[in-house]
Amino acid sequence: MRHTLRFTGVGGQGVLLAGEIMAACKIKNSGYGLKTATYTSQVRGGATVVDITLDDDEIRYPYANEGEINFMLSVADVSYQQFKNGVKPGGIIVVDPNLVHPTDEDRKKWTIHEIPIITIAKEEVGNVITQSVVALAITNTMTSVLPKESLIETMLSKVPAKVHEANKKAYALGESYALKAMN
Amino acid sequence: MAREVISTGNELAAKAAIEAGARFFGGYPITPSSEVMHVASDLLPAVGGVAIQMEDEIAGISSAIGASATGVKSFTATSGPGISLKAEQIGLAFIAEIPLVIINVMRGGPSTGLPTRVSQADIGQAQYPTHGDYASITLCAGSLSECYTQTVRAFNLAEKYMTPVFMLLDETIGHMHGKADLPDIEAIEASIVDREKFHGDPADYKPYDVPMNKPAILNPMFEGYKYHVTGLHHGTEGFPTEDAQQCEFNIERLVGKINTIHLENNGLDDLPDYEEVDLDDADICIIAYGSIALGAYEAVKKLRSEGIKAGLFRPIMLWPSPIKRLEELGRQFENRIMITELNMGQYSREIERVIKRNDFTTLLKANGRPIAPAEMVAKVKEMM
Repeated sequence: MRHTLRFTGVGGQGVLLAGEIMAACKIKNSGYGLKTATYTSQVRGGATVVDITLDDDEIRYPYANEGEINFMLSVADVSYQQFKNGVKPGGIIVVDPNLVHPTDEDRKKWTIHEIPIITIAKEEVGNVITQSVVALAITNTMTSVLPKESLIETMLSKVPAKVHEANKKAYALGESYALKAMN
Repeated sequence: MAREVISTGNELAAKAAIEAGARFFGGYPITPSSEVMHVASDLLPAVGGVAIQMEDEIAGISSAIGASATGVKSFTATSGPGISLKAEQIGLAFIAEIPLVIINVMRGGPSTGLPTRVSQADIGQAQYPTHGDYASITLCAGSLSECYTQTVRAFNLAEKYMTPVFMLLDETIGHMHGKADLPDIEAIEASIVDREKFHGDPADYKPYDVPMNKPAILNPMFEGYKYHVTGLHHGTEGFPTEDAQQCEFNIERLVGKINTIHLENNGLDDLPDYEEVDLDDADICIIAYGSIALGAYEAVKKLRSEGIKAGLFRPIMLWPSPIKRLEELGRQFENRIMITELNMGQYSREIERVIKRNDFTTLLKANGRPIAPAEMVAKVKEMM
């Protein structure tokens, strides 16, 4: 089965890393994973979109097919508005409510959860850079596309050792916020 | 046994260069090719090689040409605007017959264009990147694995034919991150081609005294053989000449050493110049290369699931183009070829030239966005 996920934000927020971790984890579990990023030539602040495709069978086309995305996570309104229509009707969208403002119509079309990702990273973990791991945990908790232990292991292999504890904490927090939002 | 890696196309191209024996990189960073330089800078010093960020694109290729003249396999990496800047030195490498691999990770143009977005608009540029007469060898990666295998091939062809070779990636392939299966390092090492050397008396050394359609035999500098390397037309010893017969011979040999070998063998080496998918029983032939072929595989699958027998022809060596096979496809698929590329039809024109007809359908795009499988499916259905 194919899972198509999309992360959107603005340049410099680190949404690329979360995508890389998910693709790598799927590959380590004998599947196929591809990550592509589309960004603008602005140094910071340009709309960024990361598409992640995970499948047990080989994947060729690396971008999400518009209208087939199961899950999207967004931490910037500019990119939310630009890329939301790729999500299939009824799909899950997670937004940071301090930064992204879905319309009432959006809420009818998709299942939208509001989780203050940046605030969690900044204030509860104490390191804003861990927002990509908070996002990673939310994504996997809501979609169950990857085995959790393997995902955490892959994540730790991609971040410096000195921030392992912070990132483990970020994962646990992301997971608990996701579970709360789903109930 | 194959090696499984998780990487990007740009990283794999750099890794391949070093495993193919490259020991010098000279270049200047440019989106979307910069990661080639990042990885070259990481890996080359560890194997006794050198990676230099020069002051500009021109100096980047100049240093690589100089290094290659000393016998060191060399490469540079850039994007379309960088090729424009390097154009004059590319001409020097063609006429002086200096092997070199030039990696171009294509982005939208012309000029600075769309720096972060995908394009295949440098296909024509790769065929004729500089003034004058010559023939170019251009390879185009259609998967992460090919970013590696075709880069190795590019070095082997450069050494064998004493010429600059273009290795084309595009932004999508260069930056996409996923699994690649690479040949074992032993298999790569066994495939390595090194340029021919003259071993006789230095007094008898005439690097350009070679028969028609054969590459020069250029000994590395500083090994006891005299050398004179010039962009001017030169005689058998490398010194300038304007002798009419010699100049005519030079150009015929420069073009012929690439083109005639291709026509005779339908290939410059033993590796395939193209890939075919489901063409045997196909009613429709989609032609696509580079990252656009990635969408085409899925389009073929989707069309077949709906009962439309589509197949894919994917050229890997774009220049010289796979003429013989294209001619056959032209005869087999009258009115039933769909060419899709990320430019205004640069390769479509080559196909028209080869099949001598223009009864094909095109799906072209030049706005920096990829072509989705659904768009290809829709276009094919229009043809039915």
